Amino acid sequence: MHSEKQKHDFEPKIIAFVCTWCTYAGADLAGTSRMQYPANVRVLKFPCTGRIDPVFILKAFQQGADGVLVSGCHPGDCHYIAGNFHARRRFAAFRKLLEFVGVDLERLQFSWVSAAEGGKWVEVVSDLTEKVRNMGPMTEFKELALEEQWSGAINTAELKEAYNEI
Amino acid sequence: MTQAIDTTIYAAVSEAIQGEAQRILSAGEVTAIVGYATARRKGSAQPIVITNADDAQKLIFTPACVNNLAVYLTKAKKEIPKQGKIGIVVKGCDLKALAGLMGESQLKREQLYLIGVPCAGVLASTIQPDTQLTADTIAPKCTECDAHLPQGCDFVPAQTPVTPELEKKYAAEIARLEALTPKERWAYWKEQFSKCIKCYACRQVCPFCFCEQCLCDRNKPQMVDTTPRPAGNTAWHIVRAMHLAGRCAGCAECERVCPMDIPLNLLNRKMAKELKELYDYEAGFQVNENGPLNSYTEKDDQSFIK
Ligand code: SF4
Ligand code: SF4
Ligand code: SF4
Repeated sequence: MHSEKQKHDFEPKIIAFVCTWCTYAGADLAGTSRMQYPANVRVLKFPCTGRIDPVFILKAFQQGADGVLVSGCHPGDCHYIAGNFHARRRFAAFRKLLEFVGVDLERLQFSWVSAAEGGKWVEVVSDLTEKVRNMGPMTEFKELALEEQWSGAINTAELKEAYNEI
Repeated sequence: MTQAIDTTIYAAVSEAIQGEAQRILSAGEVTAIVGYATARRKGSAQPIVITNADDAQKLIFTPACVNNLAVYLTKAKKEIPKQGKIGIVVKGCDLKALAGLMGESQLKREQLYLIGVPCAGVLASTIQPDTQLTADTIAPKCTECDAHLPQGCDFVPAQTPVTPELEKKYAAEIARLEALTPKERWAYWKEQFSKCIKCYACRQVCPFCFCEQCLCDRNKPQMVDTTPRPAGNTAWHIVRAMHLAGRCAGCAECERVCPMDIPLNLLNRKMAKELKELYDYEAGFQVNENGPLNSYTEKDDQSFIK
């Protein structure tokens, strides 16, 4: 019953921040309905999209994510009435900030996926995974994190020469 | 030749501030006044708190009166307004910060006696204090100021500042950066952020950074690396800009105090610009309890959401 496994050169890491009431249940439905979707996505469950702080997205990129998905209940369906309305504004603003700092917004996806939309979950995750796969690894934040630990670049001519002499 | 900016009214403004300060202190209308006084270096000015009517003649207003005094009413100095009504000398940009603080329930209008200053501009942070104010020496924020005459104060000297049209320095720089590719912008900011030494002067001086514990100081969990190195610096600047989005009054104090000359107010101004476009919100003189990021409408744009 399994579809053909495809081999790829690059498997992107996708971090999905989802709300427990809609998208998590939607992803669960996809699972219990035995729908196939890329295993690249790591799901983190939150009470509400309103709890998803923009700093989580930053942290995900710093820790090596190649793409980030934020998903919750459709407007009007929030379990806490207005959490997703607040999140919508916050993320609209955060996108603009990231764009201004020079982050490619193609790596960041937002979606509304309800508990009944297992199919939409599969579609959103597959699309983002394929898009990010084509874009290649997200290097910017990883480089920063690397520089945080090393005082200089580790592939300089001097270092290479020293290495070769060992 | 660079265009000189007329600051001749500042002498009359200073005099009027002194007269009013003298009056309200001796009448007991306020217990203290936060204002500017002459400092030791030639032409420079520094913040001062006076409680005695005899000290009223110390108050001045000159192009060197750069500080936003609103910061003295929050944070560590929170107890000041509690001791009775406080007078404060405010330029238009500072008044916007006060209005913001009132909207966030940090201050009450009844606690304050506002002495507004008709202001044509102040000097940029890199300029010696006794320099003549010109189109070159003026602080960038003043080139795009829409608040030369504060509104809704208890007292404003009856003077009209002369405000020539100047090249809008921040707007021009934001437009330049917007025209770059994301990669070029990343390279630009990476270079800028790498200069940051995490002294947190920008946080200390900002009237809106009044959290008792900053997210960036917490280590359980640690969301932002505290070291003054690339990853932590980038995260600090992004978080800072995000936490001030929809709140920043545009006083540019953060940028003035930065010892590493990082143009960090560009981020705040870019956010202000975006929030104006998205939600038609702008920092102003009116007290607003609902900022753009703590309110919503059901029809907000969601074209970016699948
Ligand atoms: S921004 Fe406006 S009110 Fe503030 S110092 Fe400059 S000219 Fe004066
Ligand atoms: S972020 Fe800067 S410009 Fe904005 S209110 Fe704070 S100190 Fe003033
Ligand atoms: S004032 Fe400048 S150097 Fe200090 S923390 Fe802020 S941005 Fe960094």
